Amino acid sequence: MGIAVQDDMFTPEVIADPYGYYGRLRDEDPVHWNDIYALWVVTRHDDVTWMTRHNELFSSAVFRNDPRPAYPAIDESDLGLYEYVRNYQADQFIQHDRPEHLDMRKIVHGYFTPKAMESWRPFVVNAVKELLDAAEEKGSMDVMRDLATPLPVLVIAQMMGVPAGDRPYVRQLAEKLLYIGRGEYDRMPILTDGMKGMVEYVSPLVDERIVKPGDDFISVLASGEKKGVFTRHQVLVNTSLLLLAGHETTINLICNGTLAFIQHPDQWALYKEDPVGRAKWATEECLRYDAPVKSIQRLASQDIEVRGKVMEKNDRIRWFISSANRDPNVFADPERFDITRQPNPHVAFGNGVHHCLGATLARVEGQEVFKALAERFPNLQLESENLDYQPSITFRSLKSLPVTWQ
Amino acid sequence: MARKLRVRVDHDVCVGNAMCETIAPKVFRLNDNRQSEAVDPAADTVEKILEAAENCPVSAIFVEDAETGEQLFP
Repeated sequence: MGIAVQDDMFTPEVIADPYGYYGRLRDEDPVHWNDIYALWVVTRHDDVTWMTRHNELFSSAVFRNDPRPAYPAIDESDLGLYEYVRNYQADQFIQHDRPEHLDMRKIVHGYFTPKAMESWRPFVVNAVKELLDAAEEKGSMDVMRDLATPLPVLVIAQMMGVPAGDRPYVRQLAEKLLYIGRGEYDRMPILTDGMKGMVEYVSPLVDERIVKPGDDFISVLASGEKKGVFTRHQVLVNTSLLLLAGHETTINLICNGTLAFIQHPDQWALYKEDPVGRAKWATEECLRYDAPVKSIQRLASQDIEVRGKVMEKNDRIRWFISSANRDPNVFADPERFDITRQPNPHVAFGNGVHHCLGATLARVEGQEVFKALAERFPNLQLESENLDYQPSITFRSLKSLPVTWQ
Repeated sequence: MARKLRVRVDHDVCVGNAMCETIAPKVFRLNDNRQSEAVDPAADTVEKILEAAENCPVSAIFVEDAETGEQLFP
């Protein structure tokens, strides 16, 4: 059965407003075959939750097992670089299925427990303060460039145990790795530069931590190599994964959340009454309302019927967090930004065995940023009404977010 | 005698990450909805159960002493 929805997910209209497009699919054809990109588009909250919890049916080994070309398309002369990216991504632990995924996750899981991540809060508070001090001195800021982009790198560099003097270099590499989520046809050289740079930079650190482990994340991965769970390449690639998975996503939480507050003055006013007390649920609502990640891809592990549609083994599937988070069957008044919404069963971090490892850290960073903004810049305003998003179906990424507070 | 525990998993919060089941498989089991249930709090040591609770990525597991009511986690 066809549906009168065009299948180009990269038009300026769909990129600017994914909620209209994917919301309509959710209402009219919730398990939709997209003919242009040859993939299933899944948009309902109950289906997304069910699929994320049935990891045995939907494989995460996408880069290893999906031979189809990159999309959006890349420059033909960069196909070799794309092979490098595929091999690099394929070695990440998140691109594995059980049983390997469980062995790998067990190595890193303990580092990211809620309790362990809470202990990073003072570091985050201080990093936010320093970034906002610099912005205040300048009198205005681009939330993206001056706050959201540097903050996660400061935290991750500390987790990696990077010497202070190397941080600017790691930040340069991190900004190249952001091209993983971009749509430009010539993105491959910059992205592979970042990946190769990280491998080269991290290699001697791994050598060091194998012999003399510390309490940093590279030492955790190195312990996995000693136990025979990770190869050396996997240790190197999973170090970069901190940035590949934790950078763009946190940037988007901070920028999209800040934008939601600015665009909803009643909620901003309510939030400012008690920034500390309201931070937790307000951050959850930011994660629901304009989620950092729009969609996640899997491959069908076997033929499977979902809502009357038959997915064949190795079919590509993308489930859409953006539309699931606004499913009227789960959320009352779903298009409304409501910072008191409780409970808030959004799927911004996924669900099941692949639930985002860095979720607590992202929450801590979001909460501390929104608290600090409310306390220091209560008159936050957009400098321009022109908002532009990256042409990605994976990430909900603004290109910049200039604000003033006069 | 071993301490008796009361163990509860909050299903408004549980995301089915299943790390509790990996750590203490006799105590925690995923139900048909793929959410964790504390099926037998006496089936493993207090240490293992607390380890499972601490490793829940969304802090959905609550542990208390069944006799005194003392909250042991979180």
